[in-house]
Amino acid sequence: MTVKGTRKLSFATLTIPAVLIYTSVIIFPIIFNIGLSFTKWSGLGTPQWVWFDQYRRILGDPVFWHGLRNNLLIVAVSVFGQIPLGFILAYIIYRRMVTAGRFFEVMIFLPITIAPVVVAILWNQIFSPAGIVTELVRIIRNDPRYVFKIFENKQLAILPILFVIIWMYTGLYMVIYIANLQKINPELLESATIDGASEGQILVRVIIPLMVHIIFTTTIFAVTGSLKSFDLIWAFTQGGPAHYTEVIAIYMYLNTFRYYNYGLGGAISMVIILLSIIIILLTLFVYKHFEKKYE
Amino acid sequence: MKSFKSIGMVLILLLVSAFLFAGGKAETEKAESAEKITLTMLEYQDVTDESEVGTWKVLLETFYEENPNVELKIDTLFDEAYHNKLQAMLVADQLPDIMFLWPGKRTGQITSSGKIKDLRPWLKGYENDFADIAIAPQGPNGEIWELPEQVTATHVMYTNERLLNELGLTYPKTLDELIGQGKKIRDAGYIPIAMDNGGGWQMQSCLLSALVERTGGMDWLERAMIGKAKFTDPEFVNSLEVIDVLAKNQMFSPGINQAQYGQALTDFVNEKAVYFIDGGWRVTSLVSELAEEQKSYVKLNVFPEVPNTRGQRGSTAAVAGTGYGMHAKLEGAKAEAAWKWIWHYSGPVGSKIRQAEGAVPAYNLEVPADTDILVKRLTEFTSNVPAGYVLDAKLSQEGMGVLQPALQEMIFGNKTPQQVAQEYENWVAKNEPTRK
Amino acid sequence: MDAIGGVKHRSSLWLLPACMIMLFFSFLTLAPLVWLLYSSFKPHQAIIRNVFSLPETIHFMNYVTAWERGNLGLYFVNSITYTSTATAITTFLALAAGYGLAKFRYRVTGIIYAFFIMGLLITPHSVLVPLFVLETSLNIDDTRIGVIIPYVAFGLPFLIYLATSYIRGLPDELEQAALCDGAGYLQIFWRIIIPLCAPVTSTMIIFAFISNWNEFVFVFVLTSKVVLRSLPVGINSFAGGLTRDYGLQFAALVIGTLPMIIFYIFFHDQIARGFAAGAIKG
Repeated sequence: MTVKGTRKLSFATLTIPAVLIYTSVIIFPIIFNIGLSFTKWSGLGTPQWVWFDQYRRILGDPVFWHGLRNNLLIVAVSVFGQIPLGFILAYIIYRRMVTAGRFFEVMIFLPITIAPVVVAILWNQIFSPAGIVTELVRIIRNDPRYVFKIFENKQLAILPILFVIIWMYTGLYMVIYIANLQKINPELLESATIDGASEGQILVRVIIPLMVHIIFTTTIFAVTGSLKSFDLIWAFTQGGPAHYTEVIAIYMYLNTFRYYNYGLGGAISMVIILLSIIIILLTLFVYKHFEKKYE
Repeated sequence: MKSFKSIGMVLILLLVSAFLFAGGKAETEKAESAEKITLTMLEYQDVTDESEVGTWKVLLETFYEENPNVELKIDTLFDEAYHNKLQAMLVADQLPDIMFLWPGKRTGQITSSGKIKDLRPWLKGYENDFADIAIAPQGPNGEIWELPEQVTATHVMYTNERLLNELGLTYPKTLDELIGQGKKIRDAGYIPIAMDNGGGWQMQSCLLSALVERTGGMDWLERAMIGKAKFTDPEFVNSLEVIDVLAKNQMFSPGINQAQYGQALTDFVNEKAVYFIDGGWRVTSLVSELAEEQKSYVKLNVFPEVPNTRGQRGSTAAVAGTGYGMHAKLEGAKAEAAWKWIWHYSGPVGSKIRQAEGAVPAYNLEVPADTDILVKRLTEFTSNVPAGYVLDAKLSQEGMGVLQPALQEMIFGNKTPQQVAQEYENWVAKNEPTRK
Repeated sequence: MDAIGGVKHRSSLWLLPACMIMLFFSFLTLAPLVWLLYSSFKPHQAIIRNVFSLPETIHFMNYVTAWERGNLGLYFVNSITYTSTATAITTFLALAAGYGLAKFRYRVTGIIYAFFIMGLLITPHSVLVPLFVLETSLNIDDTRIGVIIPYVAFGLPFLIYLATSYIRGLPDELEQAALCDGAGYLQIFWRIIIPLCAPVTSTMIIFAFISNWNEFVFVFVLTSKVVLRSLPVGINSFAGGLTRDYGLQFAALVIGTLPMIIFYIFFHDQIARGFAAGAIKG
């Protein structure tokens, strides 16, 4: 066998097992979904071909648009909240600006390992109409019927959930950044200090340029994770009240598993994937721009 | 390279364990002896509920005693997980031999698939042993897909009479009177009507359904389902008006649409609320959570008279309960064995066992003297109070996904009853299967 | 490591809010866990009377009942089996594919890589029904293999991303030298690439472990036999919306949460080091 031939064969041996498993579990259902998204099917009998009806139906549904808005807010807090916050916290720990950095590191990362349902139950015990904080406010304001109106406002109901999302996932980014900060050659920082650079200058001129790539990578994770988010919100509110906290993944779940609209469910899955790709391409575009700037 | 070695070790260990454990179907199935009948069953059970678990154990033991030749292979799930699984099984054409079914729309997809057997041939001659509503037709041609274990009243207005007396009030006869009590109750620091509607279904199932029976009636609802009447008719709007007026007068628990299911029950058990609207099934929880003394002053009532009554006065809403049904493919001995289970569960033996734990069976039984007082009251309630349809048992789930959020918006004050009615009617006209 | 970053700070004006955020986050993390822990020792009746009071007596029955009724002992063993098997397979396959995708420059390489990355966008719910149809037709539903395969498939995209980006950063010279010595590519993978990947491998293992441990949709849909169920399914049967025994629920949640926390605290250093190794290279 030729050298090229063995090379090809080795490549195949290395990649084919992964490709096979992945294709059978993920790609086959995706193709199934794409096909399904052009049909009307309730799980029984022959699917009925309806072209783009399901997509049209999604685009005409205000519930979808409100869900999309909530999803974009989640993307926004992930990209502009978790990532900067994670970076700042990582930077503080890395530069030893606080004592007990290790302790804080553990504390801030730990929420990821707590099941969403625990967080949801606890939250409910605190802020629900019978929760302890609610009771406290009632005493302070001397209003026995006080409840937090933020949960009942179409525009604002998602805010508490956004806050919990920040708390739960910031730790992940922080740990990634700490690890990468620790790889920076300390001499770079020392020489910058000797040259009289201020803390801010060191951050902007030395550290951030070295971190641009990893910030980009984490942004991609944040975007993909945000559009898929389901578990936490499902445990919290199931999208309620009145769809105020609904996100696209819940919209998909309800239509598929409650209402048996497989066609619609398939179409929504496709919309999630398309949206993710669009946002990732946008991120890539921004990244290329920054990369040039720092070269 | 030390870390490499340890990671390598871990990897190898994991791989070895993979090969050791990965074989699943290798587990040999016992050769079936000639007369042994094995049936697969998907069971619906809350494993955290002590009484349910206990009852289930007794049910199984007694069944095996009577039918030693039948073996049930049981898969137990609850709530959302149960429905997801059943649905995946339907699509893959892998439905079990016996499964737990709903009389109405919750498992409508399954029962209308043609894969469930009509139980009427077996039931013949026993019809009079069941409460009438329990064996009401479930399919379009009068089929009975599952044998109901009980009759469920979805609306009960639980009343704390001690608090009523303390406030110098009596149970109201009319809606106006009820609303008139509101201020006094609130001023005393209590909740007039404890209800939690975070899930959205509670208001529809536990109050609106009963109100629709009052202002519309079963007749009207049947006509609305096929398009001879509309949900924008006064029959429906009037029922929404009642809820609207209650909400506007701050009769419900504050933050009702944020509250998760169970919170209103907690408030009622802790005697923070005078009235509590929920389904008859809540009696089971009340039996275990109320002290004996509290039970003596907790009464079961129906919602007071409302204006524009056209249906039955003083009515609730009720559905035949859930129960077990069997796969249409079963024949001969297997079908007989499956029926034996179904009859064991909902027939005299199972009913007696469940009655002892506080259920009100669909099968007609005497109530033993030592039954819990609340269960006695529920039995009385179920047999004496006239009942109409429950909306989500008659109309599609997806439509409820339109109506329920709209109801929540109405309670917030963002929508009028007319708007809610219009929104729902628009959806029904376009999508409801019975309108086509 | 101590020398790194130990630069004296000068301004501490913005440090105060930062410290407060840290304290606040730590509080948010600790409070629920502590509350959950002590509440799990209260009977249901005591919880509904006052959710925040400390237990009057230690009511250990919650744990006993949850453990027995929820089959948690069996599920625990199953969880460990699934999680470790799937983690091992995923990690190994991802390293192999990562090597292939990083060092073999064919036209298909980029396409395959993009294919895998796309997997990050897929939600488990959207493949659930087709997957069940597929498994029943292959007759591997209700088997351990049938549960492990989807775990592996869903773990692959992220792990392949980590492996590929790490291996890309390894110098080509080692490979060239080995080739000159007459080694085949598979030997290179086994003898050179895997050892060099040690740091990223630990990250991969930990990541796969955490996500597999918490997964539960696949298990309950793809299996019917009780003996095949895993811990999250057991926990979830206590934590669903309709259940009403908070004591049991809390005990079950502690049983489900604790192993992950112990695992994390135990492997904290590896996680941190692994990230550094794995993620910085493009």
